Amino acid sequence: MDTLRIYLRSMGILIKGQLQYPVSFFLQTLAQLIMEGGELLAVILLVDRFDHLNQWGPGDLYFFFGLMSVTFYLTECFGRGITGNFPSMVRSGQLDTLLVRPRGILTQVLCSAVDPRRVACMAVGTVSLIIGSRMAEISWSASKALLLAESVFCGFFLILGLFLIEGILCIHSVKSVEIANALTYGGRSACQYPVDVFPRPLRTLFTVVAPFALVMHVPASHILGKPIFGWPGWTAFVSPLAGFVLFFVMTALFARAMRFYRSAGS
Amino acid sequence: MRACLSVFRLRLRLETQYRGAALGGIVCQIFFGLILSALYRALYFGKPQVRPLAHVITYVWLQQAFFRMLLSSDGDLMDKIRTGGIAYDLCRPLPLYGFYYARIMAQKLMGSLLRAVPMIIFAALLPGGWGMGAPASLPALLAAAAALVLGLSCVCAMENITMAFTMRTLDPRGIQAMLNLLMTILSGNLLPLTLFPDSWQRMITLLPYAQLLDAPIRLYTGEYALGQAPQVLLLQAGWTAALIAAGCWLWKRNQKRLVLQGG
Repeated sequence: MDTLRIYLRSMGILIKGQLQYPVSFFLQTLAQLIMEGGELLAVILLVDRFDHLNQWGPGDLYFFFGLMSVTFYLTECFGRGITGNFPSMVRSGQLDTLLVRPRGILTQVLCSAVDPRRVACMAVGTVSLIIGSRMAEISWSASKALLLAESVFCGFFLILGLFLIEGILCIHSVKSVEIANALTYGGRSACQYPVDVFPRPLRTLFTVVAPFALVMHVPASHILGKPIFGWPGWTAFVSPLAGFVLFFVMTALFARAMRFYRSAGS
Repeated sequence: MRACLSVFRLRLRLETQYRGAALGGIVCQIFFGLILSALYRALYFGKPQVRPLAHVITYVWLQQAFFRMLLSSDGDLMDKIRTGGIAYDLCRPLPLYGFYYARIMAQKLMGSLLRAVPMIIFAALLPGGWGMGAPASLPALLAAAAALVLGLSCVCAMENITMAFTMRTLDPRGIQAMLNLLMTILSGNLLPLTLFPDSWQRMITLLPYAQLLDAPIRLYTGEYALGQAPQVLLLQAGWTAALIAAGCWLWKRNQKRLVLQGG
């Protein structure tokens, strides 16, 4: 609990700090809004031309896009320390200062940054979710709403876990490792569409290795009433937990990697 | 002019030093290429289009291969503008515009060649329906190559204009994010321009963004017939000349009313 309190306090301070430059903040947020709007535009244009993607109609596609967009940018907003700053902290030796403080490394890294501009991207995602749910005529119930919340929550940890891979590689190699982006940003681009449109190797990758399908597509397709793999309803509540599993595996590996950490700074 | 040429040559060599980064980039772009190919295959399977699927897949691969040509900027220059280090460049007995043009051109040329050559080989070796198709004909390939050179000149001119604006506003992040977005959408990187609504395409293909990669790719796949080639190349050359002229003018004005940062 104490950790949570510290996290919230640092978030508050960081956000206040960023709002000291309101014009710059506003312009950058606007840019984010337009950027994510552009991504949505691509989906709209594809829907306009092709009408549907396998069994998924326009509403379904907007819903999947919205879910990915909200989750991914929620992670980039509150997990900014891991998703953005960590490689440069290793390279500059800034990480050393964290080692001497009486808190966990991951906690401190997470507390070191926040990116409130991403709220704009989440807004686009939310709009897409709403449009999708209207068009697909979802009949909402308490359990479906809960399932959506669970999916976003687990997705946050899944994506954070995937970004940790880059952190782990980076501890060993010092340089930031672009290849790790293939799973995170590649996963975002691919899994904003339901995973069953992809051929088997990619589908396996995004179900087993980076389980976007388990965390997002199984619950989302359940909400839409078209279970993606034809699994029974209760699985939709269990499968998002894969996100936690991946996150805990990665934190364990991260702790192991930290044992090999050698300072690069002076 | 000779000075600019040697700046160009030096930067070319500098860029070849980042081979490790290039390798990582190639793996990422190949992965994206495969994902997009799979997506368009699934979409075409549901509703075939007039435009053949093979053209779209080729479009995707060429866009991924030359990704670095579109979105890379001179990070040094940006820092120099922010810190005031640009004062040193102003002292050089060089035309400033040519100096920066040579630098960015070298960076984009070598950066994209290092990535494009292995990627095109890889994409050409993929099985049918997944990989890059052959050019429509040999003359089409030559026309596409010429168009690519013009596209490169055009994107460098655009980059220099962006930099001139950066010098005005100092906080480049907001405006740059927006320009990058225009670039990814209107150049066909996010979604092939050939898949935009047909009524939009007539307008979009006239914009400078479409001259960078879209025009060369369309010549390559035969979307633009050979007879259209002179017209396409002329449009590209026209935009390039106009943008270079605009960039020169902006840089001249910047030099006249200059406020340096730093201390």
